[in-house]
Amino acid sequence: MIQVTIDDKTLEVEAGTSIVDAAKSAGIFIPTLCHTDFLEPEGACRVCSVEIEQNGRFQVVTACNYPIRGELTVKTASERALATRRTVLEMMLARWPQVKVVRDLAKHLGITEPRFAHPQKNEDPHACILCGLCVRTCREGVWQNVLGFEGRGASRRVVMPYDGVAPECVGCGACAFVCPTGAIQMMDDPNHPADAARIRRAGMVVTKEMVLLDDDQCKMRRAGTAHLVEIMNDYDLLPVNNYRFGSSDDAHKISSPHFVKRFTQNIQDGCALGCDMACAKGSDDFEITTGPDKGKRVCVDGPEYETAGGTTNMGIFDPEWCIEMNYYCDHYGVDTISYCTLMAFVMECYEAGVLNKERTGGLELPFGAADAAMEVLHQMARGEGFGLVAGQGVRRMKKMFVADYGADPDFLNDIGMESKGLEYSEYVTKESLAQQGGYGIALKGAQHDEAWLIFMDMVNKQIPSFADKAEALHYFPMWRTWFGLMGLCKLPWNDVEPTDNAETDEPAKVPKHVAGYCDFVAGMTGQEVTPADLIRMSERVYNFQRIFNLKMGFGQREHDRIPYRSAGPVTATEYESRAERYDKQLAEEVDFDPAGKSTDEKCAALRTWREDRYEKLLDAVYERRGWTANGIPTLTTAKALGIDKMDGLVDLLTANGAAQ
Amino acid sequence: MPKVTLENLEKLAADAEAARAGMRADLCVCVGTGCVSAGSVALVDELKRAVKDQGLDGELKVTPTGCNGFCAHGPIAVIQPEGAFYERLKAKDAPTLIQKHFVDSTPLEDHMYRDPETRELVPLEKDIRFFAKQQTIALRNRGIVDPEDIADAIGRGAYRGLRKVLAEDMAPEALIQMLIRSGLRGRGGGGFPTGVKWQSCCAAAVERSETPYVVCNGDEGDPGAFMDRSIVEADPHAVIEGMIIGAVAVGASEGFVYLRKEYPLALERLYKALDQARAWGLLGDSVMGTDFAFDIIVHQGAGAFVCGESTALMASMEGRAGEPRAKYVHSVEYGYRNRPTVLNNVETWAVVGQILDRGPEWFASIGTGDVSESPWGGSSGTKVFSLVGNVNNTGLVEVPMGITLREIVYDIGGGVPDGRAFKAVQTGGPSGGCLPEGSLDLPVDFDTLQKAGSMMGSGGLIVMDDRTCMVDVARYFIEFLLDESCGKCTPCREGLTCLNEILTRITEGKGRDEDLGLLEDLGAVLKDGALCGLGQTAGNPVLSTLHHFRSEYEAHIRDGKCPAGTCKALIKYTIDPETCTGCTLCARVCPTECISGEKKQLHTIAQDECIQCGTCLDACKDDAVLVE
Repeated sequence: MIQVTIDDKTLEVEAGTSIVDAAKSAGIFIPTLCHTDFLEPEGACRVCSVEIEQNGRFQVVTACNYPIRGELTVKTASERALATRRTVLEMMLARWPQVKVVRDLAKHLGITEPRFAHPQKNEDPHACILCGLCVRTCREGVWQNVLGFEGRGASRRVVMPYDGVAPECVGCGACAFVCPTGAIQMMDDPNHPADAARIRRAGMVVTKEMVLLDDDQCKMRRAGTAHLVEIMNDYDLLPVNNYRFGSSDDAHKISSPHFVKRFTQNIQDGCALGCDMACAKGSDDFEITTGPDKGKRVCVDGPEYETAGGTTNMGIFDPEWCIEMNYYCDHYGVDTISYCTLMAFVMECYEAGVLNKERTGGLELPFGAADAAMEVLHQMARGEGFGLVAGQGVRRMKKMFVADYGADPDFLNDIGMESKGLEYSEYVTKESLAQQGGYGIALKGAQHDEAWLIFMDMVNKQIPSFADKAEALHYFPMWRTWFGLMGLCKLPWNDVEPTDNAETDEPAKVPKHVAGYCDFVAGMTGQEVTPADLIRMSERVYNFQRIFNLKMGFGQREHDRIPYRSAGPVTATEYESRAERYDKQLAEEVDFDPAGKSTDEKCAALRTWREDRYEKLLDAVYERRGWTANGIPTLTTAKALGIDKMDGLVDLLTANGAAQ
Repeated sequence: MPKVTLENLEKLAADAEAARAGMRADLCVCVGTGCVSAGSVALVDELKRAVKDQGLDGELKVTPTGCNGFCAHGPIAVIQPEGAFYERLKAKDAPTLIQKHFVDSTPLEDHMYRDPETRELVPLEKDIRFFAKQQTIALRNRGIVDPEDIADAIGRGAYRGLRKVLAEDMAPEALIQMLIRSGLRGRGGGGFPTGVKWQSCCAAAVERSETPYVVCNGDEGDPGAFMDRSIVEADPHAVIEGMIIGAVAVGASEGFVYLRKEYPLALERLYKALDQARAWGLLGDSVMGTDFAFDIIVHQGAGAFVCGESTALMASMEGRAGEPRAKYVHSVEYGYRNRPTVLNNVETWAVVGQILDRGPEWFASIGTGDVSESPWGGSSGTKVFSLVGNVNNTGLVEVPMGITLREIVYDIGGGVPDGRAFKAVQTGGPSGGCLPEGSLDLPVDFDTLQKAGSMMGSGGLIVMDDRTCMVDVARYFIEFLLDESCGKCTPCREGLTCLNEILTRITEGKGRDEDLGLLEDLGAVLKDGALCGLGQTAGNPVLSTLHHFRSEYEAHIRDGKCPAGTCKALIKYTIDPETCTGCTLCARVCPTECISGEKKQLHTIAQDECIQCGTCLDACKDDAVLVE
């Protein structure tokens, strides 16, 4: 700590504290103009000039960016400091006599008329005073860098590149928000919203949080979703070896720093007007080592968390391999998640003897077989060899392996991680019943984009009862469906949250952000909406989709079944790897004394209990949604939602026992 | 080509010198930028041809060299080792020169220097008064070595200082202490002790475990200054050697030279010198065969004056706009790419090798004050100046610290031309100050000039005669600075605009009494309030002229008169009926054709059409044009 005397107050501050911050903590006001807390101090306007004395030397410095590194006396209003400050304001007043912030500051310093004329006198009350807040906000806060200074000296002014309107400007409005004079105005939105200002106000909340909070909360801009690798590993949620395990000692080899150092873009994706999230990540100048593009240096879009998590799911912990796989999946038009999950299944089948070199066309495919796995990807794209088998996906492979190789169907159903034919995305759900439902009940198959409840359920224990879980499995799928209906991005909703979110009634819903979405709809359409209205919109669509699935031969309870691997340990190895946890559960919750029991016995007991709980969960969710016990929306529900008028709907529901 | 090692440097040098000594003579032709523009490249070619034609190939060597310094008399050839000096040579003079000097053994009098006072011919360079009081360290090889031939430079002792450092395996701290003991202070203008700067950088690098950088600031931008350019053009290896030594001292592995794009010749020679230094093993993975690795990269500056400011220069090197940042945390701690960085100017780097070679005590013995306790105790060594303006011997000079301005202006510079009176000398570039006749006997060193209200700067010296209006000079420099201000901070951007406005008004005869107080206030606020060195010193031209030439300001404001007769709005040209001979010359040169009169009759100027350009004044041979 360093002792500093500011005017008549003596205080201790940490080395590096700026004079402005030190003064603030002592309750001493130093006027500023180009300074704001969330940007690096610039020291451009010189309004905060103060006089310091150090080792007998007197000097005028700017308080905003002078770091206190040794004992110091500061005079915030010495004659010299005031002379500097006053003359600076006099210069500004001579140039911009009508700008309010300049007039107010000048008045505060006792200046009404400048003593000299300014050749560039500008009477506009909203003139740009070159403080640079907009430029720095765009650069440091929003990371978009579309504003800059052009011209030197007296001809300095703020422009976008080439004095035009930069297409890279996402229209986030942060520059206009920070401008102290109103010199920056937003252009009218080409969509002609009912109330553009209301939308901008709602958008600015998100922009501000992104600028001020993202680095501390989520690092969506610096690391993107890749930062989840280490978090998932810590919580035993990172899939390893086809979801057998939730963490690995090798996870650090593929954790986010390995990707962050490769990321060169960190820019806005440009998908939504006004969004400053900078979620776009690219691994530029990446040299490809296999396949048709071997030796080429390419730009890879990503990788995102799921691609990295899929890689560990194959027992591979090599970030370079992950990026190359990401590149080829994009290149071939293959989904990285499906590829990773089906390869993890193939690898487990290989290790279990279901597959062998003969059946894979000579490829050795145990977990971690990175080169062979990449070769399968190339074969899938070329439509040859084992690629023709793997490319069919987990559901068809299960059938083929039973039919062709006489594999045990129960085992394959337990470990083949798909639901409704869609491969699981990359989270281990064994310890979160609610999330098992999130995957199993999801309309399109095992994807977490309807609900991601693991933290609410498993970590924060916010939804202990079946009714709580059912409520969450009603609200969140409806809420997330709404983003799809509107064509809006989910990321601004709950990745970065308001600092006071935890104090709200329902933190998981991020109520302030939901209110922002209501403002958005109202500002866009001119119609006021409540959060409940938004959920209603989704319920109509969601229930209709479920009925449509029914019509197509799906959409019943049996289709919401999940492979047991997603609910509990299938093999003895899995059980033993977390024996303490499972034994405890058996003893405390299942009423089964594990002492002296074999692993197989314990596995079976746990399985019975967990499978039963999953069935109970389905009952609770169906009831909450107004569905029958077979998972079909009742006619009453359809009527309440106003979707009962569609051709054949009544007949369909009646035929499936949902006429009540 | 040979690889230079610690063991063979001396032999390589001896070989190069032996080759030189084996020749009958060496014709050193200046190919600095000034002489090149006067045709010295063709002169070199023709001299080589003439040597061949005379069959003297094996006896005479023609060496193109860097700036000789006596630019006013170029193109120049000095015949070594005797030191015979020939000036104002054209390519066509080459055969005659070879014939007369070498075949007939009679000097070519037409091209010999004639002392302006005694009117006597001065055959040898060392006897010319321009050179007599000079002492060269940074420029020691000027006019002698071929800047494009590393062997030549090694023959003249290049890299001997570096060899000493590496051969003795000198500890960085010992090396830095030598620099501190030498008293060397930064030649870029600030005068900060170089050794102390290196020491701070070392400390920061150790504390943060970062590899520091060394940077050479060659962004010379003062109007009329060409010291750095001439050093790089004349002796690039001196700069390279200094940087390698600096790198050893602070532990850098990469160095950068920031040199202006407008210096094409300097750039060309620097690139060549770097290539040769790499090929000869003086740069790269194994400097002089040791395990020390270092290389130098050249950054071309796009020509902004403010980029001479260290933090703006580093911003520019990083690919950002060349704007300075506050230096409350110095660049020795957080410099280029946020690493600890030593930045020195060209001249500073160029003397480092000499200090190591000849010892810090030798360097400290030159100059003023006592640096034995601290480098702040005085100004040791020499300083290079570009001497320009109203002075007979314009050119590049290197003088020991402590020499008086009078000696520079009169003994070296040969005084003010055309018998006019000396009025002021401007030192320190645009942000320096103008010193009057009364300051001429001040010793030239960092601290004295600062006390007198000017500064050493990087070495521009502009001499002004009695026809220079000091208000206009102040206005000129303020206009220059306003043009070159980056515009980031308010005092510099708006303050210079307002100063320019007020000064322009005064030179137009529209000044007000209160203007003088305003000028002083604004100047003071620039000093205290501006962000960087450019702004903080930008008030100097105004403050120093106000201090020394206040009556001239008052004459403009109160009497509506420009005593020097240069402010167009305040002057009137007339023709004296007594002295006009009616030669018609003035009427013929007048660009607006506003002078009328018959041959051999009195001429008159139509005042409403006269634009006060002064062409008639300069043209009249009878001094009949009068300025009121």
